[in-house]
Amino acid sequence: MKKKNNILKIEHLSVTYGPIKAVKKVNLEVSQGEYVSLIGANGAGKTSLLKAILGIEKAEEGNILFLGEDISRKATDKIVSLGLCLIPEGHIIFSSMTVLENLQLGAYHNPSGFEENLQRVFTYFPILKKRSSQIAGTLSGGEQQMLSMGRALMSKPKLILVDEPSLGLAPKTVTEIFDILGELNREGYSILLAEQNAKKALESSHRCYVMKTGEVAITGFSSELIDDPQIRQAYLGGS
Amino acid sequence: MEIFIAQLISGIALGSIYVLLVTGFNLMLLVAKIIQFAYPQIVVISMYTCWGVLQLTDNKFLVILAGITVSIILSILSEPIFRKITSTQGVDINASFIASMGMAMIIMDVMSHSINYGFPVAFPPEWIGGNLLSFGLITVSKGQLYALMGGIIAVLIFFYLLYRTNQGRFFRAIAENRYAACLVGIPIIKTSIFSYFIVGVLGGITAILFSMLIGSASPWLGEFVALKMLAVSIVAGLGNLKGGLFCGLILGILEAMAMGYISGSWSNAIAFVVMLVIVLIKPQGLFGSRI
Repeated sequence: MKKKNNILKIEHLSVTYGPIKAVKKVNLEVSQGEYVSLIGANGAGKTSLLKAILGIEKAEEGNILFLGEDISRKATDKIVSLGLCLIPEGHIIFSSMTVLENLQLGAYHNPSGFEENLQRVFTYFPILKKRSSQIAGTLSGGEQQMLSMGRALMSKPKLILVDEPSLGLAPKTVTEIFDILGELNREGYSILLAEQNAKKALESSHRCYVMKTGEVAITGFSSELIDDPQIRQAYLGGS
Repeated sequence: MEIFIAQLISGIALGSIYVLLVTGFNLMLLVAKIIQFAYPQIVVISMYTCWGVLQLTDNKFLVILAGITVSIILSILSEPIFRKITSTQGVDINASFIASMGMAMIIMDVMSHSINYGFPVAFPPEWIGGNLLSFGLITVSKGQLYALMGGIIAVLIFFYLLYRTNQGRFFRAIAENRYAACLVGIPIIKTSIFSYFIVGVLGGITAILFSMLIGSASPWLGEFVALKMLAVSIVAGLGNLKGGLFCGLILGILEAMAMGYISGSWSNAIAFVVMLVIVLIKPQGLFGSRI
């Protein structure tokens, strides 16, 4: 039904940690400009899948095609330079450096467009401009999450992987973060979001994959899944 | 007062040598995630190299080049060994400590068996320079002054590189959060190998300044200095670059003052007693550990 270009295509991907299979033969696609979410309980394999895409975890079998190129055996720095980035869970930042230095590091593979990118990141996150000379570790949790997102945007990615952006943040901040993700998508960024908060994820994304014990259990359009009684029962608290 | 000034000069010169050593050691600890206990031995063998080349030629440029080259080569040669034993998570202190200690012993044995029949080597007067000032028994040589200026300049340049340039920022990024550094796409292994190179350069410079300062080298010098390097970095806080800068300088000055006012033979004991007291009061070091 879709004839759009795939930006990311995952085929039969498996990831194992010793005897544990965290991801089992997963197939997944993200089209150009699409906003795809990945929901499922804790330990369903969402984070492992994202880490495998970025080459942080080794793919045991299967292929990961990014813009038609197989990246499943490439090193993380090569993958990042191709235009993929991960906004990790738990706002991982360089906490002893300033906000500006964090953003400079984000531009490792894209130093030429630095000033332009910086101004763009500041328009998404005006708070970062205000805090740019402050030490990153002194920011609030929400601000650190924004810095983590801003740093990822500095690399001018073609596809953004987002892992649990709502984790441990106040509801108001969560709404703000999801608004920004939506805005980024409208401006043309493709997004793959892993999120435990199924309601938020389904409301914001176009399509959704539901993961269960390492496998894709259900997939479909988010607008349809959100009314699916089975999904409502399992992931939306039956409401 | 003259004694004070003379001792202050040699103290700061000695201190800047400690700072260079501790900074190289800390950089290895932070970026390559290893305990490089053999680093002072690499410095000493570069001193031996300088001495050897000085027997052949008077060309100071060639001597400096040879010293730095040997240090770089040895530092980079140790990289594959360390890469095999470092884990991706944190610092494996046991493995890298044993490996680098072994490396230190091998270098020491080579020096004590094969070079100058194992006797200490003395640098020729034209390398050290004559006396600039002398007050009775206390003298300040040209070499000490060169070491002082060279040490301060080297430390300044190096800290500028670490804190004001992109490459320095990449080093600090890996040091602070390896996972985040990986996420922004910094090539960890390549940057880590580059840190071995930089530490090699630093070791060579240290060797040249150190030889000008003390005018001799012996097979046992490395081990002796290694203990101080380790002590300073623990007192300052392991991996704390700015702490190492401060504590290295203070140790140098403290030792020189003890040498001038009390007795040269007690300077080490005094330095270690002070450090012992500090570690008892602040086990994480004066400035806090960064690993």
